[in-house]
Amino acid sequence: MSEEMTESTSEDEPTQGVPEPSYDWMGLTNQWGTRVKPGEHGLRLGDLNVGIYGEIPEYWDDQTRRPRGALPRAGIPPLPFSLRSKHEMWADCAADLYEEAIQRRWIPATEVPWDTLEELPEDVERAVCQICTELSQCANTELEIITYWQDRMSYGYFEVKQYLATATFDCARHLEVLRKRALSNGGGLGVESRGRVNRMILESSGGWTEAVVYLYLLRGTYITRMLTGLLSFAHNDAEAFIYSHMLEDHARHLTYGYDHLKYAATHHEGATAIMRTLLAIGEGHMARELKDGVVRSAMAIIFGGGIQGGRTYGMERYLLLVREYLEDYLSICEWLGVDRKESLHPMLKSYLED
Amino acid sequence: MSEAVDTPKEYDLDTSWMDNMGEWGVKATPGKRGLTLTDIQVGSYADLPAVSDNMTGRPRGAGVRPEAYRVGAYSVHTLSEIWLDNAEFLYEEALQRQWSSATDIPWHTLEPLPDEVEEAECLLCTFFNEVEFVAGDVPARWIAKTTPDYLEARNVLSAQVMDEARHMDVFRKRALANGGGLMRMSGATSGFVGSIDLARDFTEMSTRLHISGEGAVLTMFRMGELFGQNEAEKTMYRLCAQDEARHVAFGVMHLRYISATAPERHEEIECYLDEAEGQLLSGQQNPAGTQAETSEALAILLGGGVQHYDEGHKKLLVIRRRQLKEYVKRVISAGFGDRFENGRSPIPERYAAAG
Amino acid sequence: MAIFPSEEWFQEVRQVYNSDISLHSGGGGACETTAGFYIGDARYLIEFAGLTCAQVRQSSDAELEESDFIIEMPMASWTAMVRDVQQNGKASSSQTLNSLDLNMEEGIARSPVDDQYKQDLFYRYNQNFQDFFNASSRVETQFEEPS
Repeated sequence: MSEEMTESTSEDEPTQGVPEPSYDWMGLTNQWGTRVKPGEHGLRLGDLNVGIYGEIPEYWDDQTRRPRGALPRAGIPPLPFSLRSKHEMWADCAADLYEEAIQRRWIPATEVPWDTLEELPEDVERAVCQICTELSQCANTELEIITYWQDRMSYGYFEVKQYLATATFDCARHLEVLRKRALSNGGGLGVESRGRVNRMILESSGGWTEAVVYLYLLRGTYITRMLTGLLSFAHNDAEAFIYSHMLEDHARHLTYGYDHLKYAATHHEGATAIMRTLLAIGEGHMARELKDGVVRSAMAIIFGGGIQGGRTYGMERYLLLVREYLEDYLSICEWLGVDRKESLHPMLKSYLED
Repeated sequence: MSEAVDTPKEYDLDTSWMDNMGEWGVKATPGKRGLTLTDIQVGSYADLPAVSDNMTGRPRGAGVRPEAYRVGAYSVHTLSEIWLDNAEFLYEEALQRQWSSATDIPWHTLEPLPDEVEEAECLLCTFFNEVEFVAGDVPARWIAKTTPDYLEARNVLSAQVMDEARHMDVFRKRALANGGGLMRMSGATSGFVGSIDLARDFTEMSTRLHISGEGAVLTMFRMGELFGQNEAEKTMYRLCAQDEARHVAFGVMHLRYISATAPERHEEIECYLDEAEGQLLSGQQNPAGTQAETSEALAILLGGGVQHYDEGHKKLLVIRRRQLKEYVKRVISAGFGDRFENGRSPIPERYAAAG
Repeated sequence: MAIFPSEEWFQEVRQVYNSDISLHSGGGGACETTAGFYIGDARYLIEFAGLTCAQVRQSSDAELEESDFIIEMPMASWTAMVRDVQQNGKASSSQTLNSLDLNMEEGIARSPVDDQYKQDLFYRYNQNFQDFFNASSRVETQFEEPS
């Protein structure tokens, strides 16, 4: 260490001298000798689950911030972590998704080719701006529900907390980029969402799993199809960049969501029955939201290249999107063991029958 | 015989919403830094409500829909409660300066260390792994409570949540990558009165977290370049320090804003600072604090081993002095410097006694 | 061969830094700051804008009053730092800007208006400044002061 620092500290020496160290923390470890080496993709979070550090119990009793694998300390007051069972939040892919999110980060300000935006016909620009506004509110709902639950999740399942931190960041980025698109091409923000499904998601105060059912299974699956459709009909490189990157982020969110629901379904008795109940109620709300004229017509206008085309080809294309969403949704429900084919809400079923 | 002409089916399109959109004809243009949040502060979209009545979660400036469902019970809905003048700038900076603990730390430079040094480093890493996410959990909670009208400030907090997850991750990696392991938890950020978790007001939370807690930790991270034993550790601490400095900047700028715009809250905030200084001086939540187990570990690391403990301890005192000095200067920068002149703060006296 | 310190030397370093993205390490990234270097009697202004060093040139005390922060060290310390970079390809651990700042009682970075918020920019953008000086390893350098 440098001479300058030692010289200055000698003047600062407290009159009582250096307190005798106790070293009573030394040797206090559950498992020593751990040496995880970086692999081909560096030193990843999932690589750390070795020995005791990889033991992930089904229930985490500890209500402190004790890192998994660290020794506890007596007398620490608890924190209100209400989610302490693995099935309430776990997904095997969480650690990998965390690292993937970091590697696939993007910066809207400088990476979106904003200079490729060109004037669009007014009806199309209004439709694009309206969809940006709608998706922005969806992202806001996702941000609010994740951050609501994040600090209620116990530390035993830190991989999930860390993954959700990346999802929080993704949502912030989506809010940012959608607002930027709406305000950078002669348009403006659209009218706000009616918010039926947003409220349903935010009202899932029973548990995180319940929120995930609505956020990712019921609504998220639809958002995927929306983004895919928007990408196919992107008007310029800027929009293509935005939608493709949002789609990547969103795909990660859905991977977590589906994986978590699968874990809950297979590890918690009664979980599938609860999901069935939630979906029976939620499908009705989703159906009403799909009937709402605003998003439906805005998407049709985008697909049809204007109001004129929106009335014909555009709407046909949008209805196909909804059909594809429902097919995806039903397929995932079946995979989860929550088959909805026979009991799908009639308003949603009608999209499949046309 | 003529061919039948297929006419496409025609659907009704509701386009009434086009008459109810937000301000129209807006065209933000990218500057030399790309298209930043600052650049889109155009027209009425730049208008920040001093008090937000947004109960539906709509984006600021969006057209209002009378039948929209109320979703928000946003307890943070006045600008002065959360704002800071450079929120857009800090958010864009955070986006630009992300890093990966998996690939940006030269883990291959880790080499076996003497046992006591490895134990000291692992204790410190256990501590940071434990506490870093209080700085993630708690801002996250406040995001959910804050109206979306203050998008820019919320986005800075979202970036902080991401940063803290990365810190939590990198310290766990270090503890498990060099023949050591996690040690005993500290309990420093638990549910006791005065803790960051139990703050009931955003500014109270920010004072405890950003100004006091993270200010102290920032100095620690910077010191990592001195007590880090290899390139991996030095890089780890250096990159964490950059993030931490950004979080501290949030706290300083928020306090500066509230100092200028909510003078009626001045005494209240002085009380938060009283409390934060009490904790800073007593060593709570400060790994270099006198009560902290981690201070022994730091002394070992700074000295380069138990045999140089005393020398390390002296360097630790230098860290404490710097922590206090920088804290004072940040609070002055934030607009609350009178407390160091009028005798309210115990820090000047303590600093003088240490010197 | 450029002499350290000189505007010519800093311009060469700037050219190297801007031309090779591999010199911009992880954890760097875009930044916006203007800083000053006090090296002996000489004053230099450096500006980072985004991912590049936008300018570096001779300056004055008066002009640098407007900068975000100033890095000031004895000439011998500056020379030792640059020699270390020349020798090792990048700053060794005791010669990084951060280490030098920590090792000196009053530090090496200060805000000209004594604003800690501005001084903290040295911490926020530390990696960019370090990368800049590390880039000087590719600039053939003659020193004003003998070693």
